[in-house]
Amino acid sequence: MSAAWQFYIATVLIYLAVDVTACLGLNLQYGYTGILNFAYIAFVAIGGYTYAVLTLGPQPRGSFQRYFFGASLPFPLPILAGAAAGGLLSAVLGAIALRRLRSDYQAMVFLVVSLVATSVVTNAVGLFNGAAGLSVIPKPLGSALNLSLLDYQWFYVGLTAAFAGLTYLVVHRITGSPLGRSLRAVRDAEHAAAALGKNVAGLRMTSFIVGGVIAGLSGALLVGSITAWSPSAWLYQETFVFFTALIVGGTANNAGAILGAILVPVVFLEAVRFLPQFGPPGLTEALQWVAIGTISLIFLWFWPRGVLPERRRVITLPGLPATARPDGSVAESPAAGTAP
Amino acid sequence: MLTTLGFGIQTASVLAIAAVGFTVQFGVTNVLNLAYGDVMTASAFAAYALSGVGVGGWWSLLIGGLFGALFSLALNHFLYTPFIRRGASLFVMIIVTISVGLITQNLLQAIWGSNFFSLHLSPGATIHPLGMVFTVSQLYIVLVAVACLLAFHGLLSTTKLGKAMRATAADPELARNSGIDTRRITSLAWMLSGFLCGLAGVALTLEIGSFDAGTGGALLVPIIAAAVLGGVGHPYGAMLGALVIGIATEFAATIISPTYKDAVAFAVLIVMLLVRPQGLLAEIATTKAVAA
Repeated sequence: MSAAWQFYIATVLIYLAVDVTACLGLNLQYGYTGILNFAYIAFVAIGGYTYAVLTLGPQPRGSFQRYFFGASLPFPLPILAGAAAGGLLSAVLGAIALRRLRSDYQAMVFLVVSLVATSVVTNAVGLFNGAAGLSVIPKPLGSALNLSLLDYQWFYVGLTAAFAGLTYLVVHRITGSPLGRSLRAVRDAEHAAAALGKNVAGLRMTSFIVGGVIAGLSGALLVGSITAWSPSAWLYQETFVFFTALIVGGTANNAGAILGAILVPVVFLEAVRFLPQFGPPGLTEALQWVAIGTISLIFLWFWPRGVLPERRRVITLPGLPATARPDGSVAESPAAGTAP
Repeated sequence: MLTTLGFGIQTASVLAIAAVGFTVQFGVTNVLNLAYGDVMTASAFAAYALSGVGVGGWWSLLIGGLFGALFSLALNHFLYTPFIRRGASLFVMIIVTISVGLITQNLLQAIWGSNFFSLHLSPGATIHPLGMVFTVSQLYIVLVAVACLLAFHGLLSTTKLGKAMRATAADPELARNSGIDTRRITSLAWMLSGFLCGLAGVALTLEIGSFDAGTGGALLVPIIAAAVLGGVGHPYGAMLGALVIGIATEFAATIISPTYKDAVAFAVLIVMLLVRPQGLLAEIATTKAVAA
C-alpha cells in the first residue's frame, strides 16, 4: 500500500478514535442521563483550545496569531488539562443550567450557549486568535519522538485508541454500576428517583461533568492531530453530528455509541471526500448537513432505538405482574434473575 | 443616547414579533420548535423570490407571513404531529425540530448559495422624532410591529379563539374536556405563530438590509432570551422581554461593540435564569390565564 494511503487510513483511524471518545461522553449525558446538551461541541472546543495554548508556549512578539496565557507544558499535561477544562466548564454551566431549569429550557439554553460561545471566541481576537483560529500547534511528543510523518501518524493512532479505550472502560464502569442505574432512574422517572432518596441534581451534575471531561479530552486529542483549531470547526451543528451518531448507533448503549461514531462521522462524512466536487463551493457541505438532518429524522421515525438498542432491563418479582416501563411497553416475559 | 434608543426600538419591534410567535408556538403546541429561526429565513427567501416577479415592497411582509404560516402548518401536520402520535418524547421532539432547522437552512444554502440578498424598500425621508433617527420605512416597520402585536392582543383577550388558545396553553386536558377542539386550536396556533414568524423574518431582513441562509438562525439567541425573560408561553412577557433585550443589546453595541450583541442577550438570559427562572410576568400571566 502506498504511503499516502497508509497516511490517509491512519488519519481516519485517529478521527474514529476521537469521535468514539466524544460519542461515549455525549452518550453518558444524553443516553444514560437524559441531558440534552446541545453545547457539547463547545466542551470539545475548550479542550482543544486549552491543549493549544498549553503547547504553543508564550506568544512571541510580532507573532501572526494572538492568544492569551501560553505555556509549553510537557506531554501529557496539555491533554489532561484539556480534559480538565471541559470538566470545569461543565461544572460552571451545569451549576446554572442543570439545577434550576426544566429539561426543555436546558436544551434551549445549551443551544444558546453554543451559539454565543462561537460568537465570543470569534470576536474576542485576543482570546484564541478569533475567526482565523490557532495554528502550528505542536503535536504531543512530536519533536521528542523524532519519527517520520507516517510513523508518527501511526503512533498517534495508538495514543488516541488508548484514550478511547480508557474512556470506554470508565464509561462502561459507570453505566454498569449502581451509579449507572441511578442515572437511568433520573432519566426515566426523576420524581420516583428523588422519592427513593436519590440526589437527582447531584447525579445529573456527575454525569454532566464526566461527559464534559470526556469532551475536553476528545478536543485536545483532535487538535493535537490536526494542529489547528478555529470557530468554524466547532459550529453548533457539529454537536448534531454526535447526536445523529447516537441516534443511529443506539442511545444508552456504549457499543451503539461506538457503532454510531463509525457510521456517521467517519464512514458517512469521509465517504463524501471521494465524490467528485460539483456545484459552487459550499454546496456539497450544505447537502451533507441536509443529509445528516434527514438521517436523524429517518432513524427517529423507523428505528428510534438505533441499530444497537438499549438493553431491556426487566425486573420481575415473584407474585407481581410484569411491570409497565416508562416507554409505555410492558415486559413480555418474566425474565427473572437478570436483575442486579 | 436617544439615537441608540431609536435603534433599540427598531430591534425590539422585530424581536417582539418573533419572540411572541416563538413563545405562543411553544406555549400552545408544547413543541419547542428550534427550527423557528430557519422558518424565518425561509419566509424571507419566499418574499425575495416573489419580489423578483414584481410582488415586492410592503407586500413582502404579507407574503412572508403567509409563507411562514403555511410552512409551520405543514411542519406540524406532516412531521411534528405524526412524531408525537408515535409517542416521541420531549427530547426526541427537540431533536426533530433541530433536524428540521438544519435541513431548512442548508437547503436554502444549497439553492441560493452563500450570497447575501436584500429586499428593496425605498427608505424614504429621514425623520427625527424626539431626537431619535428613523427613516420613514423603518418607522413603518415599527408601526407594523405594534399594530400586529395589538391585533394579537385583541385576538387573545376578546375572541373565543383567543380564549380557547389560552385554555389549551394552560391545560390541554381540561380544555379538551371543556369541549375545545384542541387539535384545531393547535393547528391554528401553528398558523398564527407561523405568520408572526414569517412576518418577523421579512421585517428583520428589511431592518438589517441584507440576509443569507443563516440570518434567521442567528436571531435565535435574542429570541430565546426575550421569550425566557418574559416567561416562556406568555406573549405579553415576550413583548416586554423583546423590548428589554432589544434596547439592552443596542446600548451594548454602542458602548462596547456591535459584535457582542449576542453575548449581552446571553448575559441577560443567564442572570434572569439565576434570579427569576419563571420569567418576568409569570405570576401576572398565570392569574390572567386562570381568571379570564
